[in-house]
Order: sequence, then C-alpha cells, then structure tokens
Amino acid sequence: MERADRGARRGDASGAAIEVNDLTVAYREQPVLWDVDVAFRKGVLTAIVGPNGAGKTTLIQSILGLVRPAAGRIRILGQPVREGRRSVAYVPQRGSVDWDFPTSVLDVVTMGTYGRLGWIRRPGRRERAAAMEALGKVGMEAFEGRQIRQLSGGQQQRVFLARALVQDAPIYLMDEPFQGVDARTEAAIVEVLGDLRARGDTVIAVHHALQSVPEYFDDVVLLNVRRIASGPVQEVFTEANLRTCYGGRVPFLQAVTERPAPATGRPATGRPEDAPPP
Amino acid sequence: MTAMDLEVQIMAVVVAVACALPGCFLVLRRMALLSDAISHSILLGIVLAFFWVRDLASPVLILAAAVTGVVTVALVEALHATRRVKEDAAIALVFPALFSVAVLLIARHAGDVHLDVDAVLLGELAFAPLRRFSWNGVDLGPKTLWVMGAILLLNAAFLGLFYKELKLSTFDRGLSAALGFSPAVVQYAFMSTVSVTAVGAFDAVGSILVVALMIAPPAAARLLTHRLPLLLLLSAVFAAASALLGFQVALWLDASIAGCMAVATGVLFTGALLLAPDRGVLARLVVRRRQRVEFAGLMLSIHLLNHEGTPRAPEENRLGHLPEHLRWSDDFALRVARHAEREGLLTRSGDGRLDLTPLGREAARHLMVR
Repeated sequence: MERADRGARRGDASGAAIEVNDLTVAYREQPVLWDVDVAFRKGVLTAIVGPNGAGKTTLIQSILGLVRPAAGRIRILGQPVREGRRSVAYVPQRGSVDWDFPTSVLDVVTMGTYGRLGWIRRPGRRERAAAMEALGKVGMEAFEGRQIRQLSGGQQQRVFLARALVQDAPIYLMDEPFQGVDARTEAAIVEVLGDLRARGDTVIAVHHALQSVPEYFDDVVLLNVRRIASGPVQEVFTEANLRTCYGGRVPFLQAVTERPAPATGRPATGRPEDAPPP
Repeated sequence: MTAMDLEVQIMAVVVAVACALPGCFLVLRRMALLSDAISHSILLGIVLAFFWVRDLASPVLILAAAVTGVVTVALVEALHATRRVKEDAAIALVFPALFSVAVLLIARHAGDVHLDVDAVLLGELAFAPLRRFSWNGVDLGPKTLWVMGAILLLNAAFLGLFYKELKLSTFDRGLSAALGFSPAVVQYAFMSTVSVTAVGAFDAVGSILVVALMIAPPAAARLLTHRLPLLLLLSAVFAAASALLGFQVALWLDASIAGCMAVATGVLFTGALLLAPDRGVLARLVVRRRQRVEFAGLMLSIHLLNHEGTPRAPEENRLGHLPEHLRWSDDFALRVARHAEREGLLTRSGDGRLDLTPLGREAARHLMVR
C-alpha cells in the first residue's frame, strides 16, 4: 500500500520533483536568496554548489519549510510545501545536532519513521526492522546499540543518511553529505546515491568539492544568492559559469575543466566570497 | 515515626519525582536556568491577580503564577528569536524585568499588604500536613499531596504520551519540523507543564528546593547513563532518594527540611560527578594516568630504538639512565619499564639493561614514520 502510494506520488518521469519560482529569502534586510528560479528534475542527482554564504542551506531549508520566504513559490511534486514536504527526506549537516544526546544509533535511525507514525504512536518492531535495514545499507548495522557520541564523523554522517533512507521518501535533500567524511563513508554514500537513482528517486545535495561534481551528479545548480545556472552537468558546469558564481576565484577550476585556466594574469577581483555578484 | 512525618515524606517524594521528570528535558534542552527564572517572574502574575481578586488565599493567584511562567518562556523565546542575544542572556534579561515590575507594583499600590511570593506560595513542607483536604467532613489527607499527586500524574502522562515528540524536538529541531511535529507546539506544551509543576511545587516545598530538584537529579543521572529511558528513571530515583535522605538529616540536625533536601541533591550530584564509571572525575583520572604510562612506554621504545646497536647503547639503554635522559622520576621510570615489559615491548635484565623485543621495535618504528 505504501509502495503504491509512493509510486503515485512519484508520478511519471516527466515534470519536476521540486519547482522553485521567484524565491526570495532575507534575514532582516539582507537578501540571502534573490529571485531564484530552479526546477529539480525527477529521478536524477542534483548538486547545489556555490561559495560560502551563497544561500545553499537556505534554499534547502526553504524547501523543507524551515525558513519563511519573503516571496516566491515552492512546489514539491506539484504540492505546496506544507503537504509536499512529507515526500522529502532530509539529511542535515552533521553539526546541527548535539551528538552527546543520550540515545543510540538505532534510536536515531528510527526517528526517520516518526513522520509515518504521527503524533503519540510509538515505533514498534516494524519500525525498528526498517531502521536496521537502512543501517545495513550504509554498512552500520554492527553499531546499532552504540551511543551516538562514540561514532566518528563519517559514521555519524552514515547514521543520518540511514535515518533519511528510513523515511522512504521519493525525494532526498542532503546538506553537505560528503563534508569531512572518510573514504569509506564517501564510498558508502556514493553507493546509496546510485541505488536511489536506480529506483527513480530524486536526490538534491549541497556539495562543496567541485572536482567530484561531474562524477557523482547528473545535474548541477550554481548558486550565489541568485541562480547563476542550472541544468545537466555537461551543459552548465562550465568555466564561465563557475567564474560568475565564485567571483573569479574558483577552487579546483583546473581539475574540473580539464584544461589549464587561461593565463590572463588577472588577479582575483578581491570581492569577498559571500558577496552577491554585482 | 508519626503519621505526620510519614505524610511529609510521601509528599516530599511525590514533589521530587514530579520535578525531576520534566527536569530531565530541561537539562537536555539546556534550559536549566529557566526553572530559576520562573521562580522569580511568577511574582508578577501573583501581584496582578491580587489586584484583581484582592484576596491572598484565592486559587486565581496560583493560576496567574503558572500563566506567568509560560509568559516568561514566551518572552525568552521571542527575545532569542531576534538573534540579537543568546538564550542564556535572554533568560537573564526577562526574569529580572518581570520581577522588578512586580516589586514596583507592590511598593506603589500594595505597600500595606504583606504581598510576596512566600505569602501566597507557602513553600514549607513541615506545615503541609496541616492544610487538609476534606469532603463532606471526611479528611482525605493533605491538600499538597492531592495537588502534587495530580501534577505528578499529569507530568508522567505528558512525558509518556509525547515521549517521542519531546525526544525528537530536543535532539533535532529541524527534523521535528520537517516531519510535521511543530517544535514550537511541543516546546510550549512542555514549558506549560514545567510552569505548573514549578508553581505547585513552590507552594509545597519552596523555590530553591524546586530548582534543585528539577536540575540536580537529572544532571547526576546524565553522568551515569547514555539511555534516555534510564535517564528518566534514574532522575526519579535520585530525586526520591534526596527527599528521603534530606528528611532524615533534617530530623537529625533539627534543621530546615527543604534546606536539607536541597543539600542532599547536591551531595548526590557530587557523588555521581566523582564516581561515575565513564564520565566521572576519578574515572577520567585513572584513564589519564594509564594513558600517560602507555605513552611513556612508547617514548621509551623510541629512545631504545635510537640507541640500539650504537656504541653508547650499554650506557643509554638501562633503567638507571632514564631519570637523567628523559627527566623521569625513579619511580615513574620503573613503572613505565614494568608496564612496557608487560606489554611485551621490551625485556629487562637483572643489571637494569633494557632490550627491545621485535614487537617493541615495530611499535617504535611505526610511531616514528607517522
């Protein structure tokens, strides 16, 4: 029943998983996102890249309804955020919670089932079995009883990923899933991303390591307060777009463009990284 | 033991457990200070309600006190939400403001009435058995026991029903919101129970003891367990134990019951702080001492490796030389050498010569290439 429901929510392969129109978000008077239009394609892996302060996390939090936009419209599978966000599983940044909290790995992963349970109802054997299965997918089943404080950073990230998998949603939003993880965790995440794509799920991830964008993702959104470009990686992940997005100072530019950057001798503009483009 | 003593002890245990249960989540949410803030700010509610009903004995005053507790939380949250001040500063700004307004109102308009928190919320456990609850002329026991018993049941029911929601919103506010469990709704429901508990308990045992009972038992339990259900259970046990222990001490010293109970919570916390198996001060000391010897053993291996096979080896690689070369005391050098021998890093000869084993050589090389 749940499966059929998932299929129905996914709909056909055409159309956008998430549509963002004219989105503007401001903290006090400072715009963090300015008139952003993006459509995230269904069933593909999309990276959101941009310099610090570009509004990447804010974009994700707007989709989840965690921040209130000043203007704009967001549709998740054609529904407004309030209803649509039930179709979204969220992997927050690791640092966003207190890892000293008295709870176990299995318990944290089981939290992913709370949305289905609704108010008051407690998780039971079925929910814990689902959590164990998700832990298996990220190679963490041996750690089910561990206190979460005893995990390494990469293991914590995999626990968060497992918690999102348990939500069994058609759309996954991840805030820097690869940030500061070990090679083993990176491999585990890449494998999970592949599985999700194979079954037609949509993944949107904030990503920092530009050089791995072409390898891991299908689409890319270049963001710096405004949307600089978005679309398939081979079309929009160009040197020109990256320069616009990062204001001339592009980390790993040579690696991603696979040709030496033109030796113009032009120094960096000197503009702070998080300033909006002129 | 007289019937009155028994009643006092039962009431003390009920109050203690009723306070400790919500106290667990106050500690986990890093809102411990709020219990103290509420104990002050409720005076404003009491004063305003008194101006309205003009009766110090009216239950309206207690109700108003509870509402003021929730208002305190709302103001703190609103101030914190401006992102101009941190949560602890917000607490410290709000409650003195409310408290001082209350004091000003009393001075200006009620100087002739004996109006303070103590006048409304008696806060003396020793007198609690004197205030009886009777129905149709039948004595049904002390009023405080009924009130606090009801509050204890309310708290247990609230935590039981919304355990999952409280846990989730405490651990990960973002996920809680994304899954449709409004953290704000959970927060206000929870803080309302804290406020009602605090006001009810102030009336029974006084404000200082309430703050102690809400914070010290959960803080002690926190040092002893990594499991939330066990944390709640241990907090309740510690709180009840503090109440009973404090009562006995008060009898023995002929001192204030509430004072002795508050001291007992502090003693239990200090005990946990020192003796907790994993996070306790003593456990940490032992671990650090062992790590020091372990590290020194590896340093010794490197020293031995450096001089091994050199002409100076017979002189350098002996126990008696270590105090001079590594600036260790004789005792420490002996301890390190013994430890390293037990670990199989080296062998000791009768004349004090130290020789690395293959394992010790391997360990030293491994450290040096890192």
